[in-house]
Amino acid sequence: MSDFAIQTQALTKNYASVRALRGVDLEVHQGEIFGFLGPNGAGKTTTIRCLLDLIHPNGGRISVLGLDPQKDPVAVRARSGYLPGELRMEENFSGEGILRYLKALRGNQTDWDYTRQIAARLDFDLKTLVKNLSKGNKQKLGVIQALMHRPDLLLLDEPTAGLDPLMQQEVLNIIRAARDDGATVFFSSHLIHEVEVIADRVGIIRNGKVVEVAQPSALINRSLRQVRIRFKEKVSEQELTQVPGVSLLGGEDGLSVILKVEGEMDALIKALAKYPVSNFETERQSLEEIFMTYYAQHSSSKNNQVDAAHEEA
Amino acid sequence: MLTVFRYFFGRARGAILGWGITLALLGLYMVGFYDTLAEQREMLTMLIQQYPPELMAFFGGAADLFTPAGYLSLEFFSYIPLVIGIYAVLLGSGLLIGDEENGTLDLLLAQPISRTAFFCGRLLGMAAILAAILGIVWIGFVLGERGTTMDVAALDMLYPFITLFAVLFIFATFSLMLSMILPSRTLTATLGGLLLFVSYFINSLAQLDENLRDLAEYLPLRYYQSGAAIHGLNGDWLLGLFGFGLLFALLAWLLFLQRDIRVSGEGSWRMPFFKTARKQPR
Repeated sequence: MSDFAIQTQALTKNYASVRALRGVDLEVHQGEIFGFLGPNGAGKTTTIRCLLDLIHPNGGRISVLGLDPQKDPVAVRARSGYLPGELRMEENFSGEGILRYLKALRGNQTDWDYTRQIAARLDFDLKTLVKNLSKGNKQKLGVIQALMHRPDLLLLDEPTAGLDPLMQQEVLNIIRAARDDGATVFFSSHLIHEVEVIADRVGIIRNGKVVEVAQPSALINRSLRQVRIRFKEKVSEQELTQVPGVSLLGGEDGLSVILKVEGEMDALIKALAKYPVSNFETERQSLEEIFMTYYAQHSSSKNNQVDAAHEEA
Repeated sequence: MLTVFRYFFGRARGAILGWGITLALLGLYMVGFYDTLAEQREMLTMLIQQYPPELMAFFGGAADLFTPAGYLSLEFFSYIPLVIGIYAVLLGSGLLIGDEENGTLDLLLAQPISRTAFFCGRLLGMAAILAAILGIVWIGFVLGERGTTMDVAALDMLYPFITLFAVLFIFATFSLMLSMILPSRTLTATLGGLLLFVSYFINSLAQLDENLRDLAEYLPLRYYQSGAAIHGLNGDWLLGLFGFGLLFALLAWLLFLQRDIRVSGEGSWRMPFFKTARKQPR
């Protein structure tokens, strides 16, 4: 059996002239929580919908739980739980009515006690009609239906959208519990803090291409840090800036310095060993800041390309 | 497939009862007047002769009002395909695309059910809904007939409803097929409804204008037997209607298999000359 719950190679999808996916390469391990990050329009939803064969890719290969969704979509869906990004359900059904309908479509292969447990954890009233539910409660119902058959793979498109912070936390706890029970979780989000909190690995998609896959901590470690150092005596700022990856942001009379450190801290710490340090503070970027930096870099490089093209013209 | 069928049929129970009971009451009332009409035959014959032939063409043409077949045609079966046909067009055009446009199809098709099973469940549901409506109306006619001298057996009374069902089925499946091609349900229903009206008018006017008869040969209503079916069904016509209905359904199924399920309009094609905002893929 493959170690990967999801594998895509050079996945492409076009909507008329719009190139939604431009060669997505992804590998999601069995039993991990994989966060799929990207702004609106980046291709997150399109990727998920290709995995379930709701839309047909124009090119590339997909394997979900060792199956080809285009050849065997029913088997893939039988083992998957899906929460759509734009969740709409039959308005005249109650929550329980919707769940029973979906249960029937699954050949009654669901764990109803477990379903009730999740509903209770999310403080969701199953008897209320969908048309009378708030957006947040509809989202809870969406989460319940995705989990109720204890799927091997959870495909969640922005699972905490519309929920209050307490419920967001509870949904993340439920997702963690599902992972602990052996499920693989692939979820898209543009809320970076929740990805940082829960994901084992993160993929960043931009303009239909996965541009980065890493552990959240690795992304953060790779990022810029701001370091504030106070010395007991004056030091040479120039010597410190000669350390690879270090640049000076500010300082006071040679006793305090603020440095920007790119990459590992090891070289700087070794360089500081010969100085009497009285205080050392470091701040790292959050994943959100990294993400924004990442996009800003790509946007500026794109703009540069456009400028260059204009100049050439 | 049966779950899809059961839920789709159950969802339409209001429409079934609404259309069925309303038309059944109309039938009950209308059939009950058969004897009263027959008593005033001479006066009514003179009155009908004064009507312009164009008008009579729309109500079954030269059908004899004072025979059960003619009466049933003139008073009900001649125009009812137009009335209930609108519902059939709406039903067919929204059979799959209605759920796609309101965003519920995405979740349903993410369940372990093949598109073929889903399609067949819905198609059967559609046929059952039309059959249930006509079944209720038929009961109204049978009950109404009991108090008259019309003398049409319940089974014979069923035949015009079978031919009516075939016509409704063909318009519904044609609309279903259109819905797989056109960008919106509204446009599909408009076009389907327009074709229904055009078919009805051409078929009716073809009784007066020979030039339209060739064209009418290609329209489904030409093969609709109306009230005359109480004397027996034309098997060839019926097979032809059902055959084309199934052909349209087959084409719709093939298109559905290839279809990218949209999320509230995502990926739909634009109408030429109309600049509408398109939702970007997410």
